[in-house]
Formats: sequence, C-alpha cells, structure tokens
Amino acid sequence: MEVSADISLPSGDAAKRERAKMRLYVLFQAGGWGAFLGLEVWSVLAFPEHDSLWSLETTIAIAVMGYSVGLLVTHCLRPLMARWGWKELGWRSLVPRLAGMALAAAAVWRGLEIVWIHGVLGLPWNTRYSLPMVVIMEVLYTAVLISGWLCLYFFYHLFERLNRSEIERFQLMSSVKEAELRALKSQVNPHFIFNSLNSLRALIDEDPARARLAVTQLANLLRYSLQSGQLETVPFEDELDVVNDYLALEQVRHEERLRLRLDIGPDVSRLPIPPMLLQTLVENAVKYGISTRSEGGEIAIIARNEGGALRIQVTNPGEVARGARGTSTGVGLHNAAERLRLIFGEAATLRLRSDHPAQVVAEAVIPIAVRT
Amino acid sequence: MKALLIDDERLARNELRRLLAEFPGVKVAGEAANAKQAREQMAALKPDLLFVDVQMPGETGMELLESLEPPVPHVIFTTAYDEFAVKAFELNALDYLLKPVDPARLACAVGRITGPKARPRPAASDRLDGKDKVFVREGERCWFVEVGQIRLLESEGNYTRVHFGDAQPQLFRSLNAMEERLDPRHFFRANRRQIINTAWIAGIEPWFSSGLLVQLKGGAKVELSRRQAQEFRERMSL
Repeated sequence: MEVSADISLPSGDAAKRERAKMRLYVLFQAGGWGAFLGLEVWSVLAFPEHDSLWSLETTIAIAVMGYSVGLLVTHCLRPLMARWGWKELGWRSLVPRLAGMALAAAAVWRGLEIVWIHGVLGLPWNTRYSLPMVVIMEVLYTAVLISGWLCLYFFYHLFERLNRSEIERFQLMSSVKEAELRALKSQVNPHFIFNSLNSLRALIDEDPARARLAVTQLANLLRYSLQSGQLETVPFEDELDVVNDYLALEQVRHEERLRLRLDIGPDVSRLPIPPMLLQTLVENAVKYGISTRSEGGEIAIIARNEGGALRIQVTNPGEVARGARGTSTGVGLHNAAERLRLIFGEAATLRLRSDHPAQVVAEAVIPIAVRT
Repeated sequence: MKALLIDDERLARNELRRLLAEFPGVKVAGEAANAKQAREQMAALKPDLLFVDVQMPGETGMELLESLEPPVPHVIFTTAYDEFAVKAFELNALDYLLKPVDPARLACAVGRITGPKARPRPAASDRLDGKDKVFVREGERCWFVEVGQIRLLESEGNYTRVHFGDAQPQLFRSLNAMEERLDPRHFFRANRRQIINTAWIAGIEPWFSSGLLVQLKGGAKVELSRRQAQEFRERMSL
C-alpha cells in the first residue's frame, strides 16, 4: 500500500472556472473597445471638424472599423501568448517581449487601416501631415493602447495566480490541522486502555509489584500521548521507551501469546521521528498480528541508519488485508503517512507489505538531515 | 447456577471469577479462552450462564453465540470498549458489562437472572419451550428472543427470517431445522416456506380451493393449501 495525499480541485470546478474566465474576457474586450469607440463617436459629434474632407458618416464608419480591427488584433494576441508560454515568464524577460509585441501589433493594425482607407476605399488624405509622419505617430499611439491592454491582461493573471496559491496554501494548512486533530484523537486506543485497566485490577491481587510497574507504564504512555501531539518530532529513543511500556502492558494482557524481538541500530537513538509513528505501527502489529490469533506470535522492531535514511520495520504474523484502506488500520496508517510527508517531504515513505507468506512488514523510511 | 467464563485473557477471567465469588448463587464451573474451547466446555459442563467476551481471537463472542444450537443459556456479554457492540446491546436490552467490571453492575445483571422472577433453565429437551431464548444477529444488531414471541418464520434458502416485535432478522438455520426444534403444539407448518405461531393468529378466512388464509397479529397474511388447511383443522379442533 502506498499512501499519498493529493490536493486538487475537482474537474467540474476547473471547467466552471474556465467558463467564468471566458465570460470575463469577452466582457472586457467588448466593454473596453466599445468605450473607446463611444468616446470617439461622441467627440466627432460634439466637436465636428468643419474643414474635414470626410463626411460625418464616413468618419464614424472609419472609427467603427478601426476599433473592430483593434479588437481582432488583440484577440489574436491571446492564443499567441498562451502558445509561447509567456504567462510563466518573469518580468525581466516579459517586458521587452511585450514592448515588441505591442509595436508589432500596432504596426499591423495601423498598416491594415491605412491600406484599407486609402488603398481600397480610395478616400482622400485627410491631414496636413505626411504619410511616414502619420504612420509613426499612429503606430506609437496604438502601441501605448495595446500595452495598456497587455498590462490589464497580465495583471489579471498575476492576481489570479496569487489567489490560487493562497487557496492552495490554505488547503495545505487545513489538511495539516486535520491530520493533527485526527492524530490527537486516535493516539491511544480506548479498547486498549480499558482492557489494560481490567487486567491491572486482576494483577493487584496476583502480583502487586508488577501491578505497580504496570500503573507507571500506563501513566507514561498516557502522558506521552497527551504531550507529544504538540511536538513536530521526537528523538527515536524517546518514542521507543514509550513503545516498550506499551508492549509491557500488552504482555500483561496477552502473556505468552505476545513475543518480542528488538533489533535497534547503535546510531539511531537521536534521529528525529514524528511522535506516535512507531507506536501506531506497533499498535497495528499487536491488533492484527496478536489479538486476532489464538496462538499469538512474534513482533519484531528493527531500526537502522541506512545511507542517509532511518529505516524502521515492524513485523507481525498475518497477511496484508485487502482494501485495508477503509478499515481502521488503513486510516491509522494513512494518517501516519500523511504526517510523515508533511514533516519530511516526499522522500519519506510508509508502506505495508508482505515479504514472506504469513508475515506483514510495516516499513517507514525517513530521510536524515534533509528536513524541509 | 453453573457459569462458564469465556475470555481470551487469563487475567480478565481471574478478575471475573474473583468478582463472582461474592455471589453464592453463581458457581464458576469452568473457563474457556476461545470459541472452540467454549463449545467443548459447554458440552461437558452444561452451564446455565455464560460470560462472553465480545472481542476474541478467531471467532468473536457474537459468532460463538450464533453458532450455538438453541436454546442458548443465559448470556452476559463483557467488553472493554466496543462502540458498535455496546450500541447493539443497548438497543435490545441484552445484558452486557463494561470492563473493568463494576461490582454493582454485575450484581444487577446476575440478579436479573437468578432473582425471584427468574426461571431455572429447563431440562434440556429436543423441543424449544416458549420461554426458551434464541440468539439472532443481523449486522451490528443482536437479539435474544423468546421463542413464544416469534410470530412467523419464513424460509430464505438455507436461512430463516424470523418475525418478532418490530424486527425480522435472519437466522443461520434452515426452516426445516427450525421446524424440528419447535413445539408442534404452538408452531404450525403453513406451507413450504412458512411456519406460524398459532398463539399469534388474529383471524382465519376460507380461501381458494378449500384452503385457508390466516391473518397474524402484526399484519402478516399466510396462505394454507387445502392439505395443510385440513391438517390445521384437525390439529386445532377440540
């Protein structure tokens, strides 16, 4: 079983967002160019030029045509920028590209306009400036206009990206909090606590010394499980101490049915692990390897410092249950895996597998020193 | 009253034994650590009362009870913390004790069985008496139902659906096997699929081709074929 967490929005939402973006784009294009056109028509009507060679209708028709070309030209810029991947560029490389694009688009726009007005329609030259002068001025003016358009376009995308990363940050934070809460809730199995108290009461008459020891062990376990939730990591040896207390209590209950083998490397004691990680693995091993089997079995804890990673293995007799994800083990291991990933990054793994028939191995690998 | 303690933990059995020492009416006759041992001990000791741990390796306490041939002795469940089981018990007022066992709670549970109203377990006979109890479980719910409270039993393949109160869970026994255990003075085989409890009959009407239609309290209607109707008339006539 590989456990991983995935943070993404469902595809239905993505499609909805795309449609909303398209609507906004159409609105801006129509609204923006429409406003420019309206302004120009209004100025032509309000301040008519009496020495114009063009009639009023022609002037307005030319304005309508001009802004339609503008709309068309800018509309063609969008797919081009998307294809060239400009949205991912930094501003240093983006600014010269945008300036070049604004100039080129302006030249296309005004070139088309002049060729159409004077070449195709054959309207008279309606200004006292010469052709190169008109072309330079018009292109520069239009380039500024298109730059404005491009600025708006990129500002929108900038804000959208900020928003989205903010949302993702919140999602991550909430999943961390949720994992913490679940970890707190599932720290010590109540079934275990009450069974232990029951065995303890029997032990008071039978073996008072062992009963006193068991009370201390139970207290250690409860204190650790209440306090360690606030820590991000604990040294391996601290967790192992508590796991030993826990196993001693389980041995009170299961007696000779629970056998133990510890194989701990010399250089692992100070390595950091998430609190309750080893405890969760061992609790699962007891729950599925010992409690459900009349004959009991052996639980082994193996910890090694191997090539820059701490490798912890907990083995128990039994088989890997199919669909373990939905059961309580699945949930416990899933939480542990999620916590591991949030603290140590993607290099940390938690797997449940079966090397030999009738033996289950839960293995956690935690990278050393490359903490994120 | 002979009691059998069934729990996988030796210390838990010891603790219960110690608590039961306070009750002169209850004698702990034996112990079992799993379902298999429990069946052997029951055959040997014929206990009147079982203390059964719900969580056991191999078969659970529930599964053990389901497998027992009725009538089942009095049963008191013990469990440490099992939300589902506790819910099942509460719904149906079965006797259950939470571990560690509160002595006052134990006295209450034992008193209900050994008290003045309680009835000693009848001598084991082949036929189930109206007061005998059958253990039925469906999903997370379970019942101890008195045979006399059963209105109708319906065959569903190798299982039998048992109607009593508001419930109609399935029993892991065939209708034919149940028929052999039921008292013919109270239970009548109406047709291939159904057995009715005559004490629950509310009305009888003539039906097609000399058959009968029996209506039970609680609303169920059961058809009797001509042959069964004739036998019914003979059986029920004075």
